[in-house]
Amino acid sequence: MSELVLTRKKSRIFREVNTTVTVLAREITIFFKSPGTAIMSLAMPLMMMGMIGGNLMQNMAGGLGFEFGQFMLVGMLVNMLFMVTTMGMTSLVDDHESDFNQEMLVSPVSRYSLVIGKILGAGFAAIISMAGTLIVGLVMGITLPISKLLLILALSPLMCLSGGALAMVIIGLIKSKRTANLAVMLITMPQMFLSGAIIPINNTSGVLLVLNRFMPMTYCLDLMRAVLYAGSPDYDSVVMFNPTVNFIAIAVLTVVCLMIGTFFFAQSEKNR
Amino acid sequence: MDMIEVNNLVKRYKGAEAPSVDDVSFSVEEGEFFAFLGPNGAGKTTTISILTTTLSKTSGEVRIAGHDVEKEGRQVRENIGIIFQKPSLDPQLTAEQNIRFHACLYGMCGYRPTFKMMPTAYRKKVLDLAEIVGIQDALFKPIKKLSGGMQRKLEIIRSLIHAPDVLFLDEPTQGLDAVSRRSLWEYINDTRNHYGTTIFLTTHYIDEAENVDKVCIINHGKIAACSSPAEMKRGFLRQELILDAKDRTALTSELYSLGLPFTVNGRVVVPYQESAQKIISRLQTKLTVLRIHEPSLEDAYVEFLSKTGKDAA
Repeated sequence: MSELVLTRKKSRIFREVNTTVTVLAREITIFFKSPGTAIMSLAMPLMMMGMIGGNLMQNMAGGLGFEFGQFMLVGMLVNMLFMVTTMGMTSLVDDHESDFNQEMLVSPVSRYSLVIGKILGAGFAAIISMAGTLIVGLVMGITLPISKLLLILALSPLMCLSGGALAMVIIGLIKSKRTANLAVMLITMPQMFLSGAIIPINNTSGVLLVLNRFMPMTYCLDLMRAVLYAGSPDYDSVVMFNPTVNFIAIAVLTVVCLMIGTFFFAQSEKNR
Repeated sequence: MDMIEVNNLVKRYKGAEAPSVDDVSFSVEEGEFFAFLGPNGAGKTTTISILTTTLSKTSGEVRIAGHDVEKEGRQVRENIGIIFQKPSLDPQLTAEQNIRFHACLYGMCGYRPTFKMMPTAYRKKVLDLAEIVGIQDALFKPIKKLSGGMQRKLEIIRSLIHAPDVLFLDEPTQGLDAVSRRSLWEYINDTRNHYGTTIFLTTHYIDEAENVDKVCIINHGKIAACSSPAEMKRGFLRQELILDAKDRTALTSELYSLGLPFTVNGRVVVPYQESAQKIISRLQTKLTVLRIHEPSLEDAYVEFLSKTGKDAA
């Protein structure tokens, strides 16, 4: 009988989870309907891993004391998750321009459920890019064991959530596509160069040290490398922090960014 | 019980010299059909945005279904549905996907990836509503391929799928053809009669507000008048008899001798307060034209704005 009458569900938890799933599903639907986004997600690894990574491997790999190819592959994987998630978050600006944000914000659900759904949706394209990076890595002769790959895949939604939460702090306030595109550069470039994605930061000091300690990607990268290098003789040369420290730092920075970003987003739509 | 209570509401946009909504107060009872009229820029959309929690107020108190819009925004949103002035559909999804998105956000059903996998109750309601508003053939087409009128109808289905207690309609029939407007209003009236939905309407088509329970006119951010349409018409306009005769001089002389006021403006126009029958029965001149002019709400609205020295445009 309940199947025949459309009634509102009472459980708050069900409704919030359902909201996140619905927003995520919308992003995935749009991803498959936008060939440009799908092509971009696969072309990015070719550029980042193939061109930048390949060049670095040929010119900088010597004298590091560890195998650079694998170090850089992990860096590129996490960088891709952060970069593509951040780019995906600019769809908030599209939703603002088409007034779809109003439709979402007038619904009786938590703003966090909406934003988390949006981030995970953007993360979907990022995970596709990550797969592209792995394929390019394979072509370049850099392979990872299947067990480690699965662990990396399991951790990737957390990386996307962290990158998306950071992006929200800035993109949540932006109302024009042009500014949003500039913001993507502003968010992703410093992280790529300062958090150890492609350049080791074990000897970084001064202002650059302070900056990288505030970047969520620093801890995401270190956690991924801790997983990958566990039991390897290179572990101490590559991994900087205890995985628990990394996990706590990621959790704290993600929650703080998510709270600030969601507040900015909701208020910027409401306070005019 | 008042479903909408607005007390001393003020909204001043950032950087604006004057408030867009200036000390506005009114109330709407449960089940009432309320029209909020006013010229462009009068403050209608600003007010509706505050009432639906999409815009913050500067000061004042607003309660919807007993809940404060600032402190209990979520409870307010549970009780309302809205059709925004500008379409707020996702152009990248199909019509049905837009409805599904909305239904899931309002907790009507759990999300499932295809229409066929959605619960029977959802599918039935969507198909029924689509048939009523006449978009059943467009249900699975992308929004980009739907006309403006079709999109508007889709928004109406979407706003009603969660059976709200209060439905806010911000110029809902803008861009619709006459047939669509009529079928839409039939459906909204049916919904109101069936569920007792309180309706808050803003519109530029004043005839759409002819059958409402209460009308408020807002101008320059202030409430200028608030009453039933009948009272508003009585307050600003009179009923008129429009007469003519082959011998117009004889007719005007007779009206003069009976002490009845009249004007000649193409035809002979005789304003009256009580009974048209009484006037006609006293006339001996053979009439060639006899018409009773019942003023519309639009006449009263235009008259009101012209009397208060403000343009309706």
